[in-house]
Amino acid sequence: MVILVVTVMLVLLALGFPMMVPLAGAALALLFGFFAGLQPALLVQQMVGGVQPVVLTAVPMFILAADIMTKGHTANRLLDLVDTFVRHMRGGLPITTAASCTLFGAVSGSTQATVVAMGAPLRPRLLKAGYRDSFVMALIINSSDIALLIPPSIGMIIYGVVAGVSVGELFIAGIGPGLLVLALFSLYCWVAARRQDIPREPRASWGDRLRALRSACLPLGFPVIVVGGIYSGYFSPTEAAAVSVLYALILEVAVFRAVRIADIPGIALSTGLITSVVFILVAAGAAFSWMISFAGIPDMVLGDFIQAAGDSPWLALAVICLAYFVGCMFVDPIVVILVLTPIFAPLIAASGLDPVHVGTLVVLQAAIGSATPPFGCDIFTAIAIFRRPYLDVIRGTPPFIAILALATVLLIAFPSIALFLPNLLY
Amino acid sequence: MIQPARGLAPLRLLDRAVERLEQGILVGGILAMALLNIANVISRNLLDGSMSFAEEANQGLIVLVTFMGLGYGVRRARHIRMSAFYDQLRGRMRKALMVIIAAGTAALLLLLTWFAIAHVQQLYQSGTVTPALRVPLFLIQLSVPVGLFLGAAQYLLTVWRNLTTEGTWLSFTEPDAYHEVAPESASW
Repeated sequence: MVILVVTVMLVLLALGFPMMVPLAGAALALLFGFFAGLQPALLVQQMVGGVQPVVLTAVPMFILAADIMTKGHTANRLLDLVDTFVRHMRGGLPITTAASCTLFGAVSGSTQATVVAMGAPLRPRLLKAGYRDSFVMALIINSSDIALLIPPSIGMIIYGVVAGVSVGELFIAGIGPGLLVLALFSLYCWVAARRQDIPREPRASWGDRLRALRSACLPLGFPVIVVGGIYSGYFSPTEAAAVSVLYALILEVAVFRAVRIADIPGIALSTGLITSVVFILVAAGAAFSWMISFAGIPDMVLGDFIQAAGDSPWLALAVICLAYFVGCMFVDPIVVILVLTPIFAPLIAASGLDPVHVGTLVVLQAAIGSATPPFGCDIFTAIAIFRRPYLDVIRGTPPFIAILALATVLLIAFPSIALFLPNLLY
Repeated sequence: MIQPARGLAPLRLLDRAVERLEQGILVGGILAMALLNIANVISRNLLDGSMSFAEEANQGLIVLVTFMGLGYGVRRARHIRMSAFYDQLRGRMRKALMVIIAAGTAALLLLLTWFAIAHVQQLYQSGTVTPALRVPLFLIQLSVPVGLFLGAAQYLLTVWRNLTTEGTWLSFTEPDAYHEVAPESASW
């Protein structure tokens, strides 16, 4: 039974079928092969049920807010703010890049939007300053992945829904690891700037800084709404997402006047398209998850290991991290989360690990895996955006992957990096 | 770039009309969701009363956007897939694989359409209505078989395009030129 599922999935995946096909195909193969008495309509019922958890509504709302802001001025204002404060340091420009990506991640929640919004203005400047292109591209891709950890995070929402963990708690728990990764990246930027012997940029005057601060003031309201709103318990993640949309509209349409009312249907169409593409996977994933749980496959695969996990939760965590990391090297993180989470659910339950801690680690692995060759999906995003060949894009990634691996080890060893903030609260 | 298909004008007209419908549903669905949730936050926090129908309206809209967007995603060739092996192939081999992928996906979607019809029939017979708005559930979930079918139809059109036109086609209207992928083409 396990062999059938794995074979069907791998063959369909490798051939390049759209990813809903391996998910739904494996579920159908199980149903017809072993549970012919079940009504196939049940699978459809699971698919529909899979997209209905209310917190999932936050996904299209955050995407819509991000789409509005990517079209508007928010990104540039945040970038200017970071720029005036850190560019004079050694490695100032790359640190600006990493920090701006983190900050934009805090307003948008989309890695993709972050690469576009930050990569486009920053890459030419970094190249002009003398940094090697392989370093620059790797920096932009990996820094944008910090957006996965910083709330709002679409990866966290999907994990929270599939694993039955509070999305609000996951959001708050992502802040610590996100800042840790930013700090480690900044350190590496400093080292890289020394090694590549890049001259420092002139220091910005306090007048410029104040001006940048004033113009970034309103965009900085986003993290206040999302993090502050959820942290204080004032908003649910869905409500925070809705308020983000409203705030993005007020800012970009009424205040900055960068987006016209007439642009909005086009933006909504793009949001709707991405939403449908992601949610059809969530739907197929729900059918898959229900079917394998019904068939008892998680127990078959992990079997005795679940017993062992109770004795050594660290081993369990290491296995979970490795599985998600390897998965994301090949396949889109959403699919990996949809497939692996139900399989590991009994293991996590048996090991007594904090599901929020596991969630942050899973999302961190998604970030690493998607930037890792051979097929990490961010690499292909970068190829598409920067129009550089595959090998050029991946050449600079190893140090970043090593740093992210270090962050993983730190996060496993010190769960409070993630859990400190939510523990204050929940 | 797209060769005119003679004698198929009515079909093409229908296809264009369906595309407009899909676009309209995506735009309308997303904007409705935004308005609904914004209104709900305001009403909960300022007017001290949550809108009881917001939750089920959201669920209905999500189902609508997810399934009715399926076919539109196929048109724009935006469904996520791992194309590493496919990218290694050239010329006729690549085209052949594309035909297999499109035909296989269409078959799966048609099968799911069939099951979805059974599912909706059950809902119809049970007469279930949503708790707050009292809308028959089958009416909302009708978008599931319709969407799955429209997705299958687009994949069948992709097969047809590949069999009748030079070059490899990712969908009926999108030629395979993967270095020109729009930057926002992945999921996050």
